[in-house]
Amino acid sequence: MSLEQTKNFKQVHHSVTKIDARQLALGKNSYVGDFAPPDALIVKMLWSPHPHARIVSMDVSAAEKMPGVNAVLWHGNVPRIAHCTAGQGFPEPSPYDTFMFDTKVRFVGDRVAAVAAETAEQAEAALAAIQVEYELLTPVFSIDEAMAEGAPVIHDEPEAHVPIPIPYEPEKNLVARVGCEVGDLDQGLQDADFTFDDTYETPYAQHCPIEPYTAMAHIDPAGRIVITTSTQVPFHSRRIVAQTLGVPVQKIRVIKPRIGGGFGSKQEVLLDDIVAMFALRTGRPCFWQFTREENFRTGRTRHPIRVRIRAGVKKDGTITAIGMDCWNNTGAYGGHGLTVVSCCGSKVLPLYRCENIHFLGLVYYTNLPVGGAYRGFGATQSFFAMESTIDKMAEAIGMDPLEFRRKNHIQSGEGSPVFAALGEGKEGVPMTVGSCALGECITRGAEAIGWANRTDWRKKTGRYRRGIGMAALMQGSSIPHIDMGGASIKINEDGSFNLLVGATDLGTGSDTVLAQIAAEELCTTTDKMIVYSSDTDMTPFDVGAYASSTTYLSGEAARKAAADAKRQILYTGAEMLGLPVEEVICRDAHVQNPDGSKKVSYGDIACYALYQKNQYQIIGTASHITQKSPPPFAAHFAEIEVDTWTGMIKVLKYVSTIDCGTAINPALCEGQTEGGTLNGISYALTEQYLFQNGRMTNASFADYHIFSMRDKPPIQAILVPSYEETGPFGAKSVSEICINGPAPVFGNAIYNATGARLNEFPFTPEKVLQAIHAVPK
Amino acid sequence: MKLCEFLRPASLPAARDNLRELGTKGMALAGGTALHFMQDHTPVTAVDLTRLGLSYIRPEGDFYRIGATTPLADIQRYRAPRWALHEICRRISTHQIRNISTIGGNICRVFPWADLPVVLLAMNARMVVYSGKEEEFSADDYFATQPAKRFLDGNLLSAVKVPSLKAHHGFGSVKAVRTMASFSMVTIAAVLELDGPAIKSARVAAGSAIPFPKRLPEVEATLAGREARTEVFQEAAAKAGAAAPWRGREGMSPEYSRHLAEISILDALERAATFARERAE
Amino acid sequence: MIKNPQTVSFTINGENKTFITAPDEKLLALLRREGYKGAKYGCGQGTCGACTVLMDGRAIYSCLLYAMQAEGREIRTIESIGTHDQPSEFQQELIDGGAVQCGYCIPGMIMSATALMETETTFDDEIVREYMDGNLCRCTGYEKIWSALRRVLDREEGNRNPGTGGSSQPES
Repeated sequence: MSLEQTKNFKQVHHSVTKIDARQLALGKNSYVGDFAPPDALIVKMLWSPHPHARIVSMDVSAAEKMPGVNAVLWHGNVPRIAHCTAGQGFPEPSPYDTFMFDTKVRFVGDRVAAVAAETAEQAEAALAAIQVEYELLTPVFSIDEAMAEGAPVIHDEPEAHVPIPIPYEPEKNLVARVGCEVGDLDQGLQDADFTFDDTYETPYAQHCPIEPYTAMAHIDPAGRIVITTSTQVPFHSRRIVAQTLGVPVQKIRVIKPRIGGGFGSKQEVLLDDIVAMFALRTGRPCFWQFTREENFRTGRTRHPIRVRIRAGVKKDGTITAIGMDCWNNTGAYGGHGLTVVSCCGSKVLPLYRCENIHFLGLVYYTNLPVGGAYRGFGATQSFFAMESTIDKMAEAIGMDPLEFRRKNHIQSGEGSPVFAALGEGKEGVPMTVGSCALGECITRGAEAIGWANRTDWRKKTGRYRRGIGMAALMQGSSIPHIDMGGASIKINEDGSFNLLVGATDLGTGSDTVLAQIAAEELCTTTDKMIVYSSDTDMTPFDVGAYASSTTYLSGEAARKAAADAKRQILYTGAEMLGLPVEEVICRDAHVQNPDGSKKVSYGDIACYALYQKNQYQIIGTASHITQKSPPPFAAHFAEIEVDTWTGMIKVLKYVSTIDCGTAINPALCEGQTEGGTLNGISYALTEQYLFQNGRMTNASFADYHIFSMRDKPPIQAILVPSYEETGPFGAKSVSEICINGPAPVFGNAIYNATGARLNEFPFTPEKVLQAIHAVPK
Repeated sequence: MKLCEFLRPASLPAARDNLRELGTKGMALAGGTALHFMQDHTPVTAVDLTRLGLSYIRPEGDFYRIGATTPLADIQRYRAPRWALHEICRRISTHQIRNISTIGGNICRVFPWADLPVVLLAMNARMVVYSGKEEEFSADDYFATQPAKRFLDGNLLSAVKVPSLKAHHGFGSVKAVRTMASFSMVTIAAVLELDGPAIKSARVAAGSAIPFPKRLPEVEATLAGREARTEVFQEAAAKAGAAAPWRGREGMSPEYSRHLAEISILDALERAATFARERAE
Repeated sequence: MIKNPQTVSFTINGENKTFITAPDEKLLALLRREGYKGAKYGCGQGTCGACTVLMDGRAIYSCLLYAMQAEGREIRTIESIGTHDQPSEFQQELIDGGAVQCGYCIPGMIMSATALMETETTFDDEIVREYMDGNLCRCTGYEKIWSALRRVLDREEGNRNPGTGGSSQPES
């Protein structure tokens, strides 16, 4: 299979209508909140007002007696089971440092106690009646404070431990350490004609899915706990709820209906345990939806990471050394801390050829909101540092930064020692890059932005100055050897199929994409697929939606399951036609001989198999794990205008090229690229967490700025084709990489406009102005 | 504020009577969008003002008279000669808010980020208060302190009278924001009256990065009688530092707010001057 | 169960109805309780637009409006727009254009667009952006929602003013 043959695809590589689009456009009941029964109890949580405190005493007796209150949960009446809330494979590469309710609070927004009552008002009133006595402890508000000698220990509980043998020193607030060495960094720096040593800071951000965290649970007639939740990880949720409630997995069913966005925030078990416990205690359905304020304060965030890059380059453009040191602030709990910082290195360092590479990632606790999985997952943070450094290197040797990237980026057929050295909690997997259309991405993007018109900042005058910047990017597709997805597919008597997948559609369209893949393999049409996904009772296992794995991993499981069903269809079709099975093929939902003179439809085959002779259910089942994580590649470009009197930035145009292998559904690939790019744009320019004594003070859309239709600049997504042999019909992945571009692109564009270089963002007007004033005349 | 009761009086006098009777337990309700910023649980009775015929815009002599419960969206859409209020209204919040939020709601209880008080000060508007009878107050008088105090005994804002822009008068405003729906970092509004090339009179007002909207007399004094050109505007804008107690916004410093105000004053004056020069009639 | 119950009457999607409510109940809560679940909770603060419905033809945030403020008014929700067999023109363009990702913002977008189409007579980009500026989306980057809306508006402008071209610049 190759790029040429993609022209023959009938289902994949077409912008097939998203299966649930009409239902959602009509506003039909689709999300967790739409299914809450009228008699559901409402859950509310008392959150810690302090960043670091011990709970000396708590009295919930008054709350328990208040009108409408059915149950109160607190540390005194729930099991104390150390676990991790992160939705990851088992055993998790994260510390078990969390309890359903603890006797200590570690950030403003940490759990203290919860109430289930008949109405929200009654629940709130009961929260106010809970008496808590705190012993305030000295808080830790930065990595520097966390690392300092004699720093307060945030996790001093004896139960905190890591389930796999990875470094973990909570007495030093150290959550994780990971690193790798290739060649000799110091030698590489010595060999260089120009060296660089810069430290970059990346900020907090929240995913801001328009649907806040929402979950509900009820006890079904058989006595099992059924959780309906807005989650990216239904199977991890089931396991973790079983663990924290101390009930068998068998007793729990987790269902994900449509959800209103996740972007990584819902790769976490933050509500499911509580609604499940309340359902058990009360026997009633229990519903919990975060307010938007709670979503900001208690919800997971982007990890703020300090990235130091030491690098060396020769006059001829050879990169002689790259040393990346990352300090990751994971907040009050450690889930995802190690894996995010690992990706700072593993998803960025392989992009450029270099013989001397050093990487060190350190992760620290602080008494601040908790970092979780967020689209880009560490690569977003370190690409800011990397791509800013690349521009600096190019300027030092007098080379066009575009040409410098062309000269140095990884090509098809090449590998990088970093692939083997850096995994996620384990060693990585050696890999040679298969498909790579980065060169073409750079060419197409440069043309679209008008790179040839770019001029040096020293020639620019006047109040408003324009600049053009670029960045080259990569990510990964799935976590090889670790994550698994399964699928099954059965035929119905009209030639339709039920496709059951564990894979989780967040609105990304994975139900549709997997249906297209199955239909392509089965030589039928996507509209014949009835997709049911993400139900731990009904669908095969899947780790869930993260690590850009749904198309590459779950898609291949769907394809293999379809192939399994296809074998059975051919077998029965041949039997019906009286031909040897080797002499028949599938085409257009029929089994036929090569010239088509004898054929039988899938519908007739199904009726035969279900009702008539040698009856059996035609059903294909398969699982898949991946052997590599083939990177998608991208080149992003933007033209901006800087008001040098106010420091304000206007984005004139943004171009996001993307090589995702075969675009299974081009419209959905563009949609992911456009959405992720805009998210990255506001992350770079306007999003920030403002703190006062550890409390986020701008916890609403009024004060935390994401872009509206009136703010957005023109974004042009360009799909650049390539063919990844190891992916279903040539596909890699598309959803994360695009968010990595805007911060470094704008950093480079601001420099091109004004000569001002910023090593931290968001690029607030004040910071831009200060940097402009610091430019030597 | 927690609404416990909902009254719908049929006339302005009846509304005032309701509010006088309810005292602190009553609350005048127009659009209601500002209630989001008043989060305590004080039980109140809402007195609905939206059915009293106070939503209108009409020319009245040398003024445009705007009813107190006119939604911002209507002001945004209104076009007439010598009218300039639409420009700031299209930049307040979002479409859905502008459809419900009223001019009265914006200026009866002034929040620090409110834009309309700044514009009305610059335009030398007049506020009509109903206290059993109608009384007019100049903007300078009305915004000298928190207007909410005026309405404690059941009085109601009935209308706002905005002078129609005369010949050689120009209006300019700047609202500096991070995103279009954000609260302002700095709002500046200016009305210049030109006499040939010279500035005959100037009214310049600021809001948002200061505790309460106010005029900037130091800036105005620098403009009076001077030529309407960039260097003069820069000199006047440089007085912004002394003219008001600038506060940091959104994690940025007070020094930046002052600087932003200076540039915004300059830009607003340029716009006002351009506008004035185009209006010879 | 409602404390301090009162009633409010308004027209909902063309039908006159009377509902039990309380003075402090918001219209969004009433609508969802009464089965009109297309309007969504996204923020409860009048900032995201997921709760947008029309009141007397104007787009409003039902999470901010008190139910009792709707007395005697005409309320329209997404339930009045299109069906599975016959989606509205804008719904069909959204579906065909790949503009529906998670879908949570979409009913609100459609209501704001409906207000635009029923109120304005010309649809230059600036007016369109003003009408749509109160509906946040985090999935799509707005691109395909914008182009779907632009297709509908350009056709509409073409119908109303035959012989003139519609504006079709996605943004400036």
